[in-house]
Amino acid sequence: MTATLSVQSTAAMNHNWRIGFRQTVAMSKRSVLALWRQPALVVPSMIFPLFFAALGTSSFGRAINLPGFPKVDSFLDFSLAGTIVQGVLFGSVQSGSALATDIENGFFYRLMAAPSSRLGILVGRLAGAAAYGAFQTLFFSLLLLPFGMSIKGGPLGVLIMVVSGGLIAIAISGFMAAAALKTGSSEAVQGIFPLVFIMLFFSSAFFPRQTMSGAYKHIADFNPISHLIEGMRDICIDGLSSGAIARAILVPIAIMIVSFTLALRALAQRIAAQ
Amino acid sequence: MTSPIIATGLARYFGSKDEPIKAVDGVDLEVKEGEIFGFLGPNGAGKSTTVRMLTTLLRPSAGQAFVAGYDIVKDADKVRRSIGVALQDAAIDPLMTGNELLELQAVLYGIPANQMKKRADELLERVGLTAAADRRVGTYSGGMRRRLDLALSLIHQPTVLFLDEPTTGLDPMSRLTLWEEVKRLNSEGTTVLLTTQYLEEADQLADRIAIIDHGKIVCEGTPRDLKAQVGAPTLLITVATHLSDTATQVLKEFGDMRPTAEGTLGVGLNAGVEAVTDVVRRLDEAGIRVQHLELNEPSLDDVFAEATGYRLEGAKQ
Repeated sequence: MTATLSVQSTAAMNHNWRIGFRQTVAMSKRSVLALWRQPALVVPSMIFPLFFAALGTSSFGRAINLPGFPKVDSFLDFSLAGTIVQGVLFGSVQSGSALATDIENGFFYRLMAAPSSRLGILVGRLAGAAAYGAFQTLFFSLLLLPFGMSIKGGPLGVLIMVVSGGLIAIAISGFMAAAALKTGSSEAVQGIFPLVFIMLFFSSAFFPRQTMSGAYKHIADFNPISHLIEGMRDICIDGLSSGAIARAILVPIAIMIVSFTLALRALAQRIAAQ
Repeated sequence: MTSPIIATGLARYFGSKDEPIKAVDGVDLEVKEGEIFGFLGPNGAGKSTTVRMLTTLLRPSAGQAFVAGYDIVKDADKVRRSIGVALQDAAIDPLMTGNELLELQAVLYGIPANQMKKRADELLERVGLTAAADRRVGTYSGGMRRRLDLALSLIHQPTVLFLDEPTTGLDPMSRLTLWEEVKRLNSEGTTVLLTTQYLEEADQLADRIAIIDHGKIVCEGTPRDLKAQVGAPTLLITVATHLSDTATQVLKEFGDMRPTAEGTLGVGLNAGVEAVTDVVRRLDEAGIRVQHLELNEPSLDDVFAEATGYRLEGAKQ
């Protein structure tokens, strides 16, 4: 009898898990579809990082000879990781903004009225952001190759960078989702963008920390964006090493745990507030 | 058999604990199986808040309710599986097609993948949207969106359906189409609770109605019974503004004054339609020239006015 009950309850759990998984996949598909169907939202997150990469390479090409600058063949090799993270940051703001829009226009309540997994609403959105972040990483990597950029980590390195790009997207989108769930306002989420941009400039996105000094260096040292960029950059300019791989994967995971916890808490508060 | 919707002392307060805003203030409700129940009231009366509580989207501040036999708080998930919900303020994603939305809804309600397409096709045909199934919802008219919303709410074949102001903002033709569909669903056994601010809608569709005002149900019954309770027909007259007080004194001789639109006087004729001639004669004797005269048999508007002390905005005056 106990064994039968146990089997039944395991089957029920598996069934619920399968339904929850289907719902999460459907929600992430929807968030990717929304990006695909709104090119105006996608273009800035693809064009601006490339613009900064082109500007940096043409303006600071000789900076690679500065003392302390990592050994690279071109400034573009150095720029790639910063370009990717910049694109992912733009994309993550869009992801959070889309969630806030769902709350504003009531689509969120349609989801809440269904017997769907509450977690799926959040995870689906973050999974969509991860897919877009992974795509951006691959896109920037392949697009810059014909312009003299090389990735020392090779195809496996690119694959790890793609995974890292997806994880970074989840990590940053988690914060944006938390803001969206907390405020329910897409304007408030968009309002975070300048802060994100400032954090990007106070990181090692455009120059290595080794060439910085004073307060700027201290800020960059503590800025999590520096650490998100540098794991990926190590793979690009130094090649594959266990340290580089660990940094590219574990740093985003650590930030992801923090942001996901905040987003979960904001989701629970929004549900409880009803 | 238990009624599909039962609410006792259902209340929802917003704002501070010291001075709460009582959006819904102790609603008692019972909707019987197979009924269309109309929840009538002006904007802000508490209709949508009540529906949001009954559909588990809002936690009651007080009271208790059971929908489809389940407690809306303790068994919220079971309630959600049993009901269909089309809310006025729950938007439809304009970037998705009708087909995609139905498939997403099917996934949310746990409908097996091999049944999704068939179910979506059936519903699209039912609401007349087969030809527009692969168009983005952003290109749909208001009426098409409401029909799609109805289809979405039916994806899991619910036994109880909540429609929150399903025809607000629709043109008369779209409104009629939706009414027909609601009647058809009801004839197939679905219990329907619909909120509306349109008297005609409640009159046409509902087996029973409840009028809610300032968060409280002020009267409840079948449209026929409620109209009968109002009793006397209403005579509406328009006179020159400076004579309106004298006219009121005259009209009071024939029955109680009734709330009307500004510039018009209304009296419930205790002696029935036959009293009209006497009223006109008495006004004439008092030197009051009648500019306009209209006799109305009791309507839901009168029921509403009798129960609340004012008329519904936009209703026939």
